[in-house]
Formats: sequence, structure tokens, C-alpha cells
Amino acid sequence: MNIIVCVKRVPLTQEVDLEIDESGKKIKEDALAYVINDWDNYAIEAAVQLQENLGGEVTAITIGSEDDEEVLRRALAMGADRAVRIDPGELVTDGYLDATILAKTISGLEYDLIFTGVQSEDRNTGMVGIMLAEQLGLAHAAVTNGIEAEEKAAKVFVELEGGIDEVSRIQLPALLTIQTGINEPRYVSIMGIRKAKKKELKVMTLDDLGFGAEALTPQTQIEEVFLPPETEGAEMIEGDAATIAETLIRIMGEKGVTV
Amino acid sequence: MTSFQTLAVNGNDGITGYVFMWIIAVVALTIFAFIIRSRIDLLLASQKDPRFSNLKRRFRDLINYGFIQKRQPRYLWAGIIHIMIFWGFVVLGLRSLDLVTEGLGLPIFRPFMQSPLGAFYSSLKDVFELIVLVACVWAILRRAIVRPERYEGSHKAEAYLVLGLISFLMVTDMLFEGSGMLLAGEMHGWLPAAWIGTLLLPARSPEALSVILSVTYWLHILAFFLFLNLLPLFKHFHIITALPNVFFRKLKKGEIKPARYGVDDIFDLEKLGVEKIEDFTWKHILDLYTCTECGRCSDNCPANAIGRPLSPKLLTIKLRDHAYQKYPILPASGACKGDEEPVNMVNGIIGLDELWSCTTCGACEEECPVFIEYINKIIDMRRHVLETSQNPNTFNQILMYVEKTGNPFGKPAVKRADWLKEQEVEGVKILKEGDQVDVLYYVDGYASFDPQSQQIAASIAKGLKLAGMDFGILGKLEKDTGHQVRRMGEEGLFQVLVEENTETLKSVDFKWIVTTDPHAYNALKNDYPEPYRVFHYTQFFLSLVETGHLRPKNAVDRKDLYTYHDPCYLGRHNGIYDEPRRLLQSIPDLRLVEMARNRDRSFCCGGGDVMLWHEIEQEEMRMAEKRIQMALDVGATVLVTACPFCLIHFEDTIKTGGLEERIRVVDLMTLFMSSLENPEP
Ligand SMILES: Cc1cc2nc3c(=O)[nH]c(=O)nc-3n(C[C@H](O)[C@H](O)[C@H](O)COP(=O)(O)OP(=O)(O)OC[C@H]3O[C@@H](n4cnc5c(N)ncnc54)[C@H](O)[C@@H]3O)c2cc1C
Ligand code: SF4
Ligand code: SF4
Repeated sequence: MNIIVCVKRVPLTQEVDLEIDESGKKIKEDALAYVINDWDNYAIEAAVQLQENLGGEVTAITIGSEDDEEVLRRALAMGADRAVRIDPGELVTDGYLDATILAKTISGLEYDLIFTGVQSEDRNTGMVGIMLAEQLGLAHAAVTNGIEAEEKAAKVFVELEGGIDEVSRIQLPALLTIQTGINEPRYVSIMGIRKAKKKELKVMTLDDLGFGAEALTPQTQIEEVFLPPETEGAEMIEGDAATIAETLIRIMGEKGVTV
Repeated sequence: MTSFQTLAVNGNDGITGYVFMWIIAVVALTIFAFIIRSRIDLLLASQKDPRFSNLKRRFRDLINYGFIQKRQPRYLWAGIIHIMIFWGFVVLGLRSLDLVTEGLGLPIFRPFMQSPLGAFYSSLKDVFELIVLVACVWAILRRAIVRPERYEGSHKAEAYLVLGLISFLMVTDMLFEGSGMLLAGEMHGWLPAAWIGTLLLPARSPEALSVILSVTYWLHILAFFLFLNLLPLFKHFHIITALPNVFFRKLKKGEIKPARYGVDDIFDLEKLGVEKIEDFTWKHILDLYTCTECGRCSDNCPANAIGRPLSPKLLTIKLRDHAYQKYPILPASGACKGDEEPVNMVNGIIGLDELWSCTTCGACEEECPVFIEYINKIIDMRRHVLETSQNPNTFNQILMYVEKTGNPFGKPAVKRADWLKEQEVEGVKILKEGDQVDVLYYVDGYASFDPQSQQIAASIAKGLKLAGMDFGILGKLEKDTGHQVRRMGEEGLFQVLVEENTETLKSVDFKWIVTTDPHAYNALKNDYPEPYRVFHYTQFFLSLVETGHLRPKNAVDRKDLYTYHDPCYLGRHNGIYDEPRRLLQSIPDLRLVEMARNRDRSFCCGGGDVMLWHEIEQEEMRMAEKRIQMALDVGATVLVTACPFCLIHFEDTIKTGGLEERIRVVDLMTLFMSSLENPEP
């Protein structure tokens, strides 16, 4: 079972006071710490677990700069066999371009399954996986939280609203967007990541992939980025636990909730 | 004059006895060498460990702890018994050699024995024979009747066998010498043991006496060689290995060993940590050989006390049993050394939660009379667990946060100095590269971000200001010292943190480092390669009081009774017991009482590393709960500590236990600040 996993490096934004840069179209990124996209961490783990059980090879791919290789080395340390980085140069991609570049890269590879995360922590559009499947002409399942793979097919569990799982069979090759919680991603130590430097990491440019400039026009344009306006109405409830509880019950009552 | 030995061996002439003795000695020593070989094999297969530094100190410790046995009386009666037997062995060693060499026809000690000094020695030996006999009988009775709990899980039959054998050696020698004297018809000097022997013997029958003389001699000799060969099989190997083990003891407490000795860059290593028995260092193998199974370690282990699946003694016994199985005396019994493992040692013989149960409090090592190390072994096994991704899942995010943001909360580095605002502390210098101060206050992660611990940081900053100190903090340049990650087994991350923090500390000019947290203090002092002049705040503020920079004026309520909890990394690991107490007592009217477990017998609060992020399910109560009970037992109403983690554990337990009415916990720094006349400068 050969599996390709698309991974992305994203900023760690929890508790960061995000600032918009001068252009008004971007967030200031210089002071941010970067990590692997949480969903992709689960996707790698899912791929590695399948490979451990069924054999085959796992390839991790990212579109990004040299700094982004960190997430590939992480994937290699978790058990991926090889990694590919596509250097987009000066090109600023959107979800559509990411899918296009990935599709071109992957079309030259052998695979049974492609995993992406459901979405990425930075843009959260949730588009790349599905568009990639479309471009490769593959069947896909989105928000996958369980996989039982066989030779030529897989049983997939997909999360629906209200905690309901939909179970279906999918013909391989196929693409699955992986939901967090599908497994428990293993820890890879700093030592493990350093050691993974010995594994193959191939770097390709857009030229190597044979893209002409005109083919790569983003389909989304960011007009403006702004922080959500601070709204009125947050009421800080003061006092000891009993007073706080009482106030809460009163407010909920006023809003029509009976406790 | 013919010696009794010669008489016993050969009657009055002939050489058959000598031949017999030579046969016994050669056979016994050959078997002994054969047994010892497998023990040495494992020592040779294990890892490097440089233990020859500071020889002067080593010899001093050998005298104090090896010969004077200073740690023995920590358990008074057992200690006294042991000292009696130990000194008996030291004195009787010469006697045994004399008995054997005479029997071999090489009476090399005879001139000495027949000198006046020899006569004195004989009396001394006789006294010790009685002392040892009494001690052995006493020990047997203690084991059989008192049955101290700490012997649970020890090899009991072995203990009885060896105690019995020692008693047998004493009795045979008494009877041997007694019958000799009766035959000779005179007392040789003052020999109380032999004299008692004579009382038991048929004084009027020379025939019977000479038979007894021979029989007791040979029984004694046989028992002696049997004893020698039993030693390496059982816990009594310590009779041979304990003195070397004490000599090669770990000298620097608080420090964690490197992943591999003699390797500069751990990233050059193929693997980290201990997976197989051979991955331990030779000293740690010697530890296994040496453990006396006395159970003092487990008796003091807080993890064991609250029902976690860890007993240090059993950890050693299990590892030793495994080692002996893997390196058997008879090679035919299916040994497989090296790579093929029939069972997992880690996550098999030693359970994962057994490893995570340890708080690295050091109580076991403080107690062990033969200086067996636990923390380094446990961390070494944890390293393997972490490198093979068998760690608790809760660690993943914590470690990722520490790596990416420098703190376990994942708070952005730029917010590291925000506690100043949050705690309304003004005028604290946030250092930049190239800045110069006298005191660099190393806040560390918890005191920077955890609201409860921030109060300690605020008090320290205010106190330093009040004392007119020229000081600053590193703000976003500071990262956690890595104390925790190292003890969680993430050595690679620890090394990265050391590198980064060392760079940062190089970039500013300071005289002293002061820390909030005993763990950060320990890391900077013992784990970091640079020799910083680092102080815990308790030390630093005591010196500020003693040099008149600060003067506590406000008295505390005399109704309150204070007790001080020694944080493990301040007390046991760094010997700072008096400074916090003196600082406390500088506060007017403060009444201090000691808990039953204090100073080097302090009882861990629950720990400042793994326990913050991993719960051991198999637990009867929390450590903090037990500790608070100890404070209540002495009537304390205020529990003072000097570590953010202790504060967190205790406060939490007081709240969940509904004990607010009976006791409160306070950090020493906060308490001290409130005693200053004008705490807001
Ligand atoms: C478990 C779960 C949790 C989620 N949590 C969140 C959340 O916290 N926040 C969030 O923003 N989103 C969340 N989502 C996503 C979101 O609720 C829906 O998935 C999304 O709004 C549906 O849009 P879609 O176009 O992808 O879906 P589809 O289900 O494909 O909807 C298609 C839409 O196309 C139209 N359509 C389809 N068929 C026809 C037809 N025959 N004729 C005419 N029109 C048609 C309808 O307008 C229909 O609504 C969650 C989804 C799941 C499953
Ligand atoms: S260090 Fe403390 S917790 Fe760990 S084994 Fe020793 S006594 Fe027990
Ligand atoms: S390790 Fe030390 S304290 Fe523990 S049982 Fe062995 S000898 Fe006793």
C-alpha cells in the first residue's frame, strides 16, 4: 500500500495577538512559531500505521520554502519513507494552486491512497484535499475518522453532523481528507527528527514540474484582512463561586433557558 | 608450638590434611571464578561511566559510608545490627585467612598470631565472634517476628540461609578453639568466645575433643568456602561489591547523566536511552549486584507510599533477576546475550507506568546505605520509551510547545514578561543583548505564565527592587531551562534548550543568577555545562537579610504555627535546608515546627515534572494529600514551601480536600515580602 500524504507547516496562533501588516492583506508572521498542521499530523500517523500493517511506502509532500522542510523531516521521523518539497519560489499560492501543484507532482508517482488533512489551521478553507481529488480524477471521502484498508478498496468512516458516522467502501486509488482524532499521533523526538535527515528529501521547482507561468493564476484574491471588530456585550461576572453561579442562572433565565 | 589448625588438619603428623585442604581450596576457588565470570561478562558488556574523578572525596566517602557506615543508623536497630556484623567481618577476615593458610600448610600469619599483638587480636576476634553471633540471631528474630514491611518482596530464604551460615561459622570457630584449648589444657589469653565453647564441650574426654577439633575445623572451612560461593548468587554479593559501589558513587546530586558518556554530540548516537540490560553503565550494573534488598529505598519512596506501581527495591530486584537470567552461570541454560531479547526489559519486565511513577525526588538515593542510583536508571529507560514513541500522549503537545515557544503552555515567547503587567510590578529591566546587570533573575516558565506562581515572581522582583539590587529579567529571550523535558526523557530537546539558553546567557553580562524555582536552579547549577553562580531565591534573600539590605519587621500572627516543606530539588538534590529555615525565622513572631519527615527525609509534593502532565491511575491518594496530613499531624496551620510546583500541588489538594479551614499553603517568598515594612517600593 503506497500512500502519499500532503503536509503543511502552519503558524502556532493560540494566544498570539495577531497583527495585520502594512499591506492590510496579510498577517505579520515574523514573530510566530511554526508547527505541523494538526490535521496533517494525524494524516501522517494514519499513513504510517497502514504502512506498518500492510507494507508499502509513504511519501510526504509539502509546497513551501526550505524552512518548511521541518514538517517533512517530522513526517520522515514518524515513519514516512521519502519526502518531496516543491519550492514555489516567489509564487503566492491559494488552495486552488496548492491543489494544482500537488496534482502535477503526484501524477508522476505511484500510489493507492492520498491523505490530506481536512483543513489547515491557518486558512481553514478545507478545499485542497477535495480539489486535489477532483484534479486527479479520484474518488474521495472528506472528514475521515476511520480507515480499514484492503487490497483494492477501503472501508472509510466519515464524520457527519451530530456525531454520526457514515461508513462506506471506496475503490482505490482514492483520496481521503483526515480528521483529527482518527488516531493518536506518535511523538517524534528531536533526536528522531535529526536522524530523519538521512532519509531521502527531494526538492523540486515549479519548472521541474513543467508549469508555465500562465497556468498558475490564483483563483482567490484577498482584498483585506482585518481582526474581528471588538463587540460590546461581554459582561464579566464578578464575585465568589456562589454569586457567579446565581448570576449565570439569572442571565440564562433571561435568555429563555430554563435550568 | 603447633597451632590448633595444624593439629586439626593433620593430627600430630602426616600430610593428608594439607592435600585435602588444597583440593577444597582449589575446587572452591575455581567454582567461584566460574560464577564471577558471568558477572564480569555483563560488566564488560555494559556502557562506559567515568567514576574516577575526585579521588580524595571518594576515599573520604568510602571511610564514612563504607567503613563507618554512616547511613546505617538512619534505621537505628537494623543499622546497629549491620554495623556489628560488618565490623565482625572486617576483624574476622584475618582469622579466616589464618585458618585457611594454616590448613594449606602455609602458616604465614602464625608469627603475627603468636606475637603479643596477635594475642590482642585473638581476644578482639573472639569478642567480635560473639557480637556477630548475637547480631545474626537478633537479625533472624527481627525478620521472623517483627517482620518490617520494607522486606516485602526481598528474597527471604536467602537472608535466613546466609544469617544461619554466618552463625554456623561463628559457632564452629568457638567450638574449634574451645576444644583446642581444652586439649592443650590451658587458656590462650582472654578468649571469651572460645571460653563459652569450652563450657559446651566434654572437657574430660581427649578423644572426643580431638574429633570435635577436627570436625569443627573442617565444617568451618567448608562453610567458609560455601559462603564464598553463595555470595555472588544472592543479595549477599554486596559483601564483595558494596565497598566498591560506595567508592564509585555518584558525587554530584541533582545531575542527570548524559545519554552516553564520552559522546560529545548525542545526535551522533544511533539510539538514546536504555532498552537492554547492556545499555546500562557498568556502575548501574554494579548497583544491581550490590543491592542488599534492605528496602530502605522503597520505605521512603513517595510513589510507593501512595500506591503507585513503583517500588525502587523491586525495580532493582527485577532488573537483577533479569540480568542473572540473561548472563547465567551455566551457559547451557539457554542464555541469549546481546540483541535477541526473549522479553522486553522496558515495557515488559519494567512497566511504563512504573517508570512514569517516579518523581525523581531522590528519597531512595538519599537513604540507600550502599548508594544505589535510581533516578539516572529511570531517566535512561524513559529516554528509550520516548525515543520509541511509547510515552503518554499528553506529553506530545507539552514537548512540542516547549520546543516551539520555550514554555509548556504554548504561550508566545513575546508574552513571557507579561507577568510584570499582570502582577503590576513596575520598573523591572527587560534585558537585551549586551546589557549589564548584577543579578539576572531567571523566572522560568511556570512563574512567568502560571497565575499562582506569578505571585512568587512578583514578590521576588519587588524584593530585589526593595533591596536596591541592580537586576533584570530576560523576557522573550528566556526559555525554560529544560529541567522537565530532560526528566521526561526528551534528551534531544533538552540539549537544544541548553544550547539556546547558554547562547542567551552569554549575550548578557551578569554576576549572579537568581531563580524562582528549585528545578530551574538545579538545572542551571547541575545540568548546564557553564559554571554559573546561581542561587535559589531563598539563599539570595537570606544573604540580603544577613547583610542588612532587607529587614523583616511585620510580625505574623502568633496563633499560626508554621511548618516548612523541603522541596526535593532544593533540599535533597542541593543540600539547601538551612537557608529557607533561617529566612523564615527572620520573620518576627514566626513559630516554626518540623514535620516528622523533614530535611533529607522530606516527602515529595507530587513533583515538578512528569506528574504535571501524566496521571498514574493506580494511586490511592495524592502525594500532596499525604504531605499535608503530615503537616496537620504536627498541628501546623501554615505550610510554607519554596517551589511553584509544591505550591500548586498543595493548594490544589487543600481546595479539593476542603481543608481551607485547617491549613493554608504559602510560598516562602510571598510570606517574606509581606513581613517587610514597606513592601511596595
Ligand atoms: C461533524 C461536522 C462538524 C462541522 N463543524 C463545522 C463548524 O464548526 N463550523 C463550520 O463552519 N462548518 C462546520 N461543518 C461544515 C458544515 O456544517 C457543512 O459541511 C457545510 O456547511 C456544508 O457545505 P457543503 O457545500 O460542503 O456541503 P453539502 O452537504 O454538499 O451541501 C451542499 C449544498 O449544496 C446545495 N445542494 C445540494 N444538493 C442540491 C440539490 N440537489 N439541489 C439544490 N441544491 C443542492 C444545498 O444548498 C446544500 O446545502 C461541519 C461538518 C461536519 C460534518
Ligand atoms: S526518586 Fe523518589 S519517586 Fe523516584 S524511585 Fe526514588 S524515591 Fe521513588
Ligand atoms: S537499593 Fe539500596 S536501599 Fe534499596 S533495597 Fe537496595 S540496598 Fe536497600
